[in-house]
Amino acid sequence: MEITLFGNTFMMPSDVLAAWVFSLILGGIVGFLILKKRRLGLLWEYMITTNHRKIGILYMLFGIIYFFRAGLDALFIRTQLAFPNNDFWVFQGEKYNEVFTTHGTMMIFFVAMPLLLGLMNTVVPLQIGARDLAFPFLNALGFWLFFSGSLFFNISFFLNMTPEIGWTGYAPLSTEQFTPGAGTDFYVFGLQISGLGTIFTALNLIVTIVRHRAPGMKMTRMPLFTWTSLVTSFLILIAFTVLAIALYLLMFDRMFGAGFFSGTEGNPIYWQHLFWIFGHPEVYILALPAFGIFSDVISTFSKKRIFGYPIMVLSVMLIGFLGFMVWAHHMFTVGLGPMANTFFAITTMLIAVPTGIKVFNWLFTMRLGVIRFTTPMLFALGFIPSFVMGGVTGVMLSVSAANFQFHDTHFVVAHFHYVIIASTILGIFAGLYYWYPKITGYVLDDKLGKWHFWTFLIGFHLTFFPMHITGLEGMPRRVYTYAESDGVTGLNFTSTIGAFLMGISMLFVIWNVYKTYKEGRKVGDDPWDGRTLEWSVASPVPDHTFDPMPVVKEIDAFWFAKAAGEKMPVTDKVRASPIEVKSILPFLMSMTFFFLSWGLTFAWYWMSILSALLLFGLLVIRALRDEREGFYGRREKDES
Amino acid sequence: MNREEMALFKDKKMGFFIYLGVEVVMFAVLFATYLIFTPATQGPHPSEVFEAKIVILSSFFLLSSSGTLWLGERALKKKKQAFFLIGLGITKLFAIIFLGFEVYEFASFVKEGYGMSASVFMSSYYALVGLHAAHVAFGVGWMGVLFVQYFRRIPLTLFTEKLSIFAYYWHFVDIVWVFIIGIVYLPYLL
Repeated sequence: MEITLFGNTFMMPSDVLAAWVFSLILGGIVGFLILKKRRLGLLWEYMITTNHRKIGILYMLFGIIYFFRAGLDALFIRTQLAFPNNDFWVFQGEKYNEVFTTHGTMMIFFVAMPLLLGLMNTVVPLQIGARDLAFPFLNALGFWLFFSGSLFFNISFFLNMTPEIGWTGYAPLSTEQFTPGAGTDFYVFGLQISGLGTIFTALNLIVTIVRHRAPGMKMTRMPLFTWTSLVTSFLILIAFTVLAIALYLLMFDRMFGAGFFSGTEGNPIYWQHLFWIFGHPEVYILALPAFGIFSDVISTFSKKRIFGYPIMVLSVMLIGFLGFMVWAHHMFTVGLGPMANTFFAITTMLIAVPTGIKVFNWLFTMRLGVIRFTTPMLFALGFIPSFVMGGVTGVMLSVSAANFQFHDTHFVVAHFHYVIIASTILGIFAGLYYWYPKITGYVLDDKLGKWHFWTFLIGFHLTFFPMHITGLEGMPRRVYTYAESDGVTGLNFTSTIGAFLMGISMLFVIWNVYKTYKEGRKVGDDPWDGRTLEWSVASPVPDHTFDPMPVVKEIDAFWFAKAAGEKMPVTDKVRASPIEVKSILPFLMSMTFFFLSWGLTFAWYWMSILSALLLFGLLVIRALRDEREGFYGRREKDES
Repeated sequence: MNREEMALFKDKKMGFFIYLGVEVVMFAVLFATYLIFTPATQGPHPSEVFEAKIVILSSFFLLSSSGTLWLGERALKKKKQAFFLIGLGITKLFAIIFLGFEVYEFASFVKEGYGMSASVFMSSYYALVGLHAAHVAFGVGWMGVLFVQYFRRIPLTLFTEKLSIFAYYWHFVDIVWVFIIGIVYLPYLL
């Protein structure tokens, strides 16, 4: 449909129009509710907060919002593929490319990452007895950069300029020659900005975990979720930095006439190397925190200490280390030669060893345990067999000779959905149900939670199991249709049913949150009979925690204190806490990145220059309003 | 510094060193890019492009600015305020001179027709050396803020801390320059 505005005529496809209408209505409702309930103050409070729990909530909130959008993309994909030669709405050809691009990019960067970072932000300080993350201001900046990057990426849809290059952004398709439109720029800058935020948050988590632990909380006594968060943060530092430079080079290619990834001298394979040096560790960045969540959940609901704690820690480190040595297994068909392929095939197979160790340790933790089948525990139990299936197809794919058959088919799609959904998504669900009482003070309804679990798990297997077979039959990924003579109609239709079942399962989550909120039954600080420190603080977590500071003498110290019927010993000898500060600067700084990128995308250079100047101005203001000024030199008089 | 300030300073120091680790990864990838694409099969050869004179001059100013910063820091510790101001001032001046040489160098390359799109070697050169120059420019601004902080008379311990963090940054930027000399320029100037 065509729309005329200010004398310009725009083409607006009906899906974009629908998005506008839907967003305006939804935005109107939310705005009305905020005004009616007089919650503008709350909104402002969250915009200026640097408290780790509130920032964690913001991360999770936006992660869930984007989860619904990216999930909707998935339903469009599956509806288009439900029947042979189908013509569903507009999702053929380029529109199909757009929809799988946004689905993949958003699920990885704007769903899985913020949900995990949100859980880490909220839980890690509580698990180790830290009063906040080491750098509260930087933490807020990290979140708002993620927000600004995700907003930048999402806005492209409303302008009908969605990227259509796949979440991997392979060159030369992503260079100016083949995608001259603004779409790819939205991808480049969206990821660049949010990636910067992710790096800051990872840095913050490392300093917090290394330097802000409670007295007696040795590294070897930390809960496993904290351990996996630490290893993940190191992976983020390296992987996201490589991605940042890859995007930086791509930006030079697209905007300033460089030729790294195309042309006679440039090398598209170089993009693939850089992308996968980021991309493969990214898979472990998503999986390891989930492993940590499962370890804590399984241990709590089996009433047993985790089996083989040192080996669990060691295998996480080993997975993290090996994760950097396997990237070329995404490129077996590129033609790197038999030596390279063999090397990367072997390192890939090696990763199965520490992962297998972890699986057995989870099983041994449950053995002879007193198991309670609560919702978080169900997700953990669903994870183990589902993830093992994904692992097995992973080993199949690592056989580089056979990979030539599997490459770019639905078999690969089945594999990575099996590993990522089974670990990351089920892990996030387990974590959300598990820590929901700590965050809000309410326990989510167990019955609805179980409905959610079963519909999701069945839907998940129904969607992705048939893809193994369609893939082996030769159905390529990223192709919007197939012929009846291909003989994959029944399997594809089954996948579509499964996808909608997963969609329905998410309605149970909404219903559950609403119901729990309406009933408003507060629970105590320790509803699950937990083992780790976070259950010793009040629910919902107050702004000031660990006063007085507990002293930790062993793994699961809180549990053993409860078992002995004692309170945990406390001390008032604590290191200086991070200084709390309230500031709108992180939000403003992040928005300057948004407009800077906007200016570059549309060649409105005045806007970029203005935003950059504004950013430096804000940095100066930040330097002059350092919250530590009031804190330093209190004891000794300033000598100058 | 008392114990609490020390704890907060060590947090910041560790965080900043991790950040410098991130920078190491960034520059490592850019160095790798340069090594992969240089010399390019088409377009100018690096030995035709680079000029030893400018490299030597700019290196002199940038590398000695690390020394003047160190002297300034030492002067502050010994409470010689004037020497400190001179040290930081010369550091900033040398950094600006370095930037001037960089701008001149880039401009003369472009004038000779060796712009960003001249060859993939030139692209990787600008992406790497340009990012380093941006770091120097950022440092110049940072030193400006440090001067303001000094005259605002913030607590001395806080100022010393801010100065040390800047010094880590500045020495790091210099080390990167040493690698740029060794990897980018030297092989084609000898």
